[in-house]
Amino acid sequence: MISRSKSLLGPWVAKTTILLTVVFFFLTATAEVSAQKKFSRVYPAGQNVRIQLMNRMGTVTVEGWNRNEVAIAATLEAPAANIVPQNLSGTIVINVVRDNQGRGEVGNVNFLIRVPFSSMVDIETRIGNLNVSNIRGGLVRAHISSDGDITLLNIASAAVSAENGIGDILFDGEIQDNGNYRFTSMSGNISVRIPFESSYKLVATAPSTRNISLGACAGASFSPFGNGRRMVGKCGDGSAAMTVTNQRGAITFLRR
Amino acid sequence: MNCDECKNLIGAFMDNEIEESHASMVREHLAICGLCSQTCEDLVSILDVCSVEPSSEIVPPNSQALWCRINNIIENEVAPPLQSAPERRFWQFSFGQLAAALGCIALISSLLTVVAVRNYGEPAAEDFTTRSAATQTTLEKFLSKVGLTESPQQARDRRLHEQRAAISYWDERVMLRRAQWDRATRDAFDRNLHVIEESVSEYTMILASDPDDELSGEMLDSVLSEKMNLLRDFSDL
Repeated sequence: MISRSKSLLGPWVAKTTILLTVVFFFLTATAEVSAQKKFSRVYPAGQNVRIQLMNRMGTVTVEGWNRNEVAIAATLEAPAANIVPQNLSGTIVINVVRDNQGRGEVGNVNFLIRVPFSSMVDIETRIGNLNVSNIRGGLVRAHISSDGDITLLNIASAAVSAENGIGDILFDGEIQDNGNYRFTSMSGNISVRIPFESSYKLVATAPSTRNISLGACAGASFSPFGNGRRMVGKCGDGSAAMTVTNQRGAITFLRR
Repeated sequence: MNCDECKNLIGAFMDNEIEESHASMVREHLAICGLCSQTCEDLVSILDVCSVEPSSEIVPPNSQALWCRINNIIENEVAPPLQSAPERRFWQFSFGQLAAALGCIALISSLLTVVAVRNYGEPAAEDFTTRSAATQTTLEKFLSKVGLTESPQQARDRRLHEQRAAISYWDERVMLRRAQWDRATRDAFDRNLHVIEESVSEYTMILASDPDDELSGEMLDSVLSEKMNLLRDFSDL
């Protein structure tokens, strides 16, 4: 008798447990979804629009596209930040830091921004990753105050600046004549992937690791400086200027 | 006949061109008048001279031109031309004036050179603070010795002092805000500050043993700027 009741009780307990688990999962997922807010805005734009974003925490992704408009989409984690974009005569400004100053805790804001290919991009965040791709406007600037990786893909701008604290930097793009390129990190790896025929003057400094791999440009006229902590030289006719500084990490040049 | 009538007729009387009656009257007057008789004698003397000397010697062919020449000679002899100093033009200076002018030009040039060296010849701050004494030019060494410019060591010290003052200011601001940060923000800030402090310590040690290490000087300047930027950025949160 007892053994039969046990055999009947087993499947019932199992079904109940599975049901409760499914209910708990859905409830949790719903709660998470409800904690997130969405923000989206579209602006008509010319080819020379400039996007200027200062985020507080979160990932920012900027992509170039073949449309004359700027589309901003953001996911706001709780407690949700205030976002007040401004369109100032061709410059779209979003300053999450200023719009939330004085608030104690503010959730991450993850941006996905699409801009015309020829836009100028100036993005900054206190903490979080920055990704920029398919941009050939006059300027690409990515600055992270502390932790975060910077990824710049398919960039053909004449002025590029990437700076972070702890995190990696990857630049994959073209070097323009008379361009200016600056990559600076406190700790992390800096990788520069450029075409073999690129022409630039280089000052690469890695004082702690002395790990500077010139890769594609190894045959060019570079000379070590400061016991190998810095490499200085020229690749091609050297019309562009590139400065790479990594305080506590490695520098690597790759052929594109 | 009175003296006036006699004087009017005496010229014609001398030339025998008056009537006899008048001539006798003139004779009578000359006999009794000493003044008129003296005048008559003078005229006779003149007439005598004129009759003896050839007229060509007495009357020059061009008396007016002659008088002009005489007048010029007299003027030259009586009032010889004064040896006045030649008139000085505005561009002519005395030796003293020239010497003073050259001295002024030299002084102004020197002052301008010093100002140019101090203000415009000064390297950019990034280079200025990171150079070593070994890379100084002779002129720079001279100027730094006489106190007109800073030596690289002095420049570096001054720059570090300024940076530390700025860092101190932003550090106080961060301390006021830090309590309001969430845990993730605090952790990220501390982690990055720790990495920066490690680099500062490393470069400070290297520079203590080798003050002429340019690269370490430059990197120390760079990481202190990073530290200041980190503090400034997080003081907004």
